[in-house]
Amino acid sequence: MARRVIGQAERRFAALVLLPAAGLLLVFRIVPLIWGFVLSFTNSDGLGQADWVGLANYRGVVTDQAFRDSLVNTVLVLATLPIWILLPMLLALLIHQGVPGGRFFRAVYFLPAVLSSVIVGSIFNVVLRFDGSLNAALKAIGLSPVDWLGNGGTALASLVAVHLWSTFGMSVLIFLAGLSTINQEMLEAAKLDGAKFWARLRFIVIPTLRPIIEFVAVVTTIGLLTGMFGLIYVLTAGGPGTSTTLPEFLIWLEQGKLNRPGYAAAISAVLFALMAGVAWAQVRIMSRNAEL
Amino acid sequence: MGRIARWLIGTALVAGPTLAQAQELTVWDWKSGDPVAANYFAAAKTAFEAAHPGVTVNFVMQPHDQYYTLLGTALGSESGPDVMLLHGGAQATSRAAALKPLNDMTEGLAGVADFTADGNAIALPLTIQGFVVYYNKALYEAAGLDPDAPPRTWDELKSVCEAFKTQGEVPCFAMGNKEGFGGDFFLSVLAADMFTPEQQAQMAAGDLPWTDPALRTIVETWVQTSQDGWYPEGANAMAKFMDEYETFMRGEAANTIGLLSDVAHWKQFEEFLGPDALGVYLHPAPGGEPRLPVSGGIGYAVNANSANADLAAELVKVLSAPEQAAIFAVDTGALPANTAVDTSALSSPTLTTILGMLDGPTAPLAHAVMAPTVMEEWHRQSQLLLNGETTVDDALARMEEIRQQAKSN
Repeated sequence: MARRVIGQAERRFAALVLLPAAGLLLVFRIVPLIWGFVLSFTNSDGLGQADWVGLANYRGVVTDQAFRDSLVNTVLVLATLPIWILLPMLLALLIHQGVPGGRFFRAVYFLPAVLSSVIVGSIFNVVLRFDGSLNAALKAIGLSPVDWLGNGGTALASLVAVHLWSTFGMSVLIFLAGLSTINQEMLEAAKLDGAKFWARLRFIVIPTLRPIIEFVAVVTTIGLLTGMFGLIYVLTAGGPGTSTTLPEFLIWLEQGKLNRPGYAAAISAVLFALMAGVAWAQVRIMSRNAEL
Repeated sequence: MGRIARWLIGTALVAGPTLAQAQELTVWDWKSGDPVAANYFAAAKTAFEAAHPGVTVNFVMQPHDQYYTLLGTALGSESGPDVMLLHGGAQATSRAAALKPLNDMTEGLAGVADFTADGNAIALPLTIQGFVVYYNKALYEAAGLDPDAPPRTWDELKSVCEAFKTQGEVPCFAMGNKEGFGGDFFLSVLAADMFTPEQQAQMAAGDLPWTDPALRTIVETWVQTSQDGWYPEGANAMAKFMDEYETFMRGEAANTIGLLSDVAHWKQFEEFLGPDALGVYLHPAPGGEPRLPVSGGIGYAVNANSANADLAAELVKVLSAPEQAAIFAVDTGALPANTAVDTSALSSPTLTTILGMLDGPTAPLAHAVMAPTVMEEWHRQSQLLLNGETTVDDALARMEEIRQQAKSN
C-alpha cells in the first residue's frame, strides 16, 4: 500500500537528492578503496611502471616480522581497554556524587581532549625523555630514572598512558551524561530499602549505564586503532625496534620512506579485513542498543 | 556594454598572449625558506631570469621529514616540479627512472658518483657531505686530556672515553638514536676506516653480506662502546637532529659525530662553543686507518617528465654554478661540490683542518648506499642492540635476511 503513495516523481527527486552524497562517496571512498586494492597486487614504487606481482605482497605481509610485531602491539594496546572504561566511569561517578570542585574537575579532565596529538606528544617528550621532568621527580624522591620512551619494555605503555591522559575526558563527559539519565526515584527507593552504595552501583547504576559503557568501548577502540599515529610520530618514531610500531605507522613508513606503495597497500588491505571484523562487532552492539 | 565589462575584455586581450608566452619553472627543496640560504636562492633566480627573459622561477619549500613522500607521490602521478633538490646516495639513485640524465654538465663537480645511476649523472651536486668527530676542547682539558691532541687511533679514542668515564661529568659522545640515525653515522665512520674498496663496492651494490667480519666488528663495537658507557642514557629516546647536537653545543657531551655541510657542522658548533673551543678529528676504528667518509651531499635534478626539461637543465646549471655555490657555501658553511668555488671568505681553524682532511684518504658513506628497507632495519636493530634487547648474532642474522630480501626484489 505504501508503495503507491510514493510516485515516480518523488522517487526521481529522492534519487536526485541522494546523488551528490552518493557521488562523493563513490569518488572519495569507493574508488580509492578499489584503487588501493589493485595497487596491492603490484610492485609499485611510486615511480614509473608498476608490474602485476599477484599475491607476492600478501605473501610478504604474512612473513613480515615488522607487521607481526605491529599486530602484537595492537593486541597489547587493545588489552588496556578496561582501564579506558573503568577510569572515566569512576571519575564520572565521583563527580556525579558531588565531590567538592566537581565542575572544576569536569573541565580539567576534558581540557587535554582539545589539544592535537602533536602538541600532546611534544609536551610529553619533555616529561618522559631520560633527562625529562618525570625522571627528575623520581630522582628527587630517591628512585632510579627509567628510559620511558627508549626502552622496549616501557615505550608502548608510556604511549598508551599519554593517549589516555589526552582523551579520557571525553569519556568522563559521556558517562556523566549517562549518569544523569538514571532514575533518581529508583535510587531513592533502593536507599530506603537499605541498599548500600555498592549494591546500588551493582544493581541500578551499572545496568542503566550498560549502553553507555558499550558506546565508550566502541569509540575508544576506534580511537586506539586510528588516533595514535601523531603520538608515535612525535614520541618514538615506532621504536625502539618495532616496540611502538602500530599497523598505521608501518603503512606510512612503507609507503613514503621505503618507496613501496604496493606493499603498503597490501598491509592496508589486510588491516582493512581485520578492522572489518571489529566494525561488524561494533555495529551489532550499537544496533542492539538502539532498540533499548 | 558596461565599462567594467569592456575593461575586463581589454585586460584579457592584453594578458592572454603574455600568459601564453610566460614560462614558469618550479623548484622543490627543503631549504628555500631558510633565511641563511636566502641570498643564494635570490642570486640564482636573478641570474637565471636575466639570462632567460619571460621565464619565472618559483622555489617551493617542502617539509624535510615529508619531502620524499610528497615527491614520490608527485613523480608517481607524472607531475611534480621541473627541478628538485635531492640527497646523494639511495634517495637520488632510487628515483633515477623519473630523472633526466645530465651527463655533459658534471665537469668540475665533486661527489657526482653519489648521483649516478646506471652510468648516468642524474643530478648536479651543490655540496659535499661527510662525517667527522667534533670535540669540545674545554671538556678535554677538564678531563685532564690534551685539547690539541685529539685521538688518532682506536686505542687512543678508547683511552679518551675512559678518561671521561672516570671523570664522570659528561658522556664521551653525545648520542641520539630515536630515528636510528646514531646507528647510521656510527656504521659509516667505522666502515670508512675498515672496509676495503672491494667491500665498499659490494656494500653499494647490496652484495656485502652481514656475515662479513668487518660488519660484525662494526656491530660488536656499537654494542661494546655502549656497554663501556660512551653514550648518555636514553639515547634511543633522543632525536639526533637537533637534541643530540644541542647537548653537544650546551657542553654536556665531549664529542659528537657531526656533518660537513647543512647543519650540525663546524660553523654551527663554532657559533655556540667559539672557534677556539671546537676541535675536529677523523673517527678511528678497530684495525683500520682513519679515512674521511664523504660523498655528494645535496644536488639538483631535472624531472624527465617536465615540459620544459631542457630549460630546467639550464636552471640546474645556474643553481650549481661557482658564483651561486660560493654564496651558499659562505652563508651556510656548507662545503661546495664545485671545485671552482672560492671559499677564501670562510675561515676558521676547524674548517682548515677539515679542508686538509679532504685532501687525504676518503671513503664513501656506507649507510647512505643501503637499500631503504635494509637501512630501516638497521635503525631498528641499532636501537635494540643499544638497549641490550637483542644479541649481535640475532641482529646480524636479521640484517642479512632483510638484505637478501631487498636484493631479490
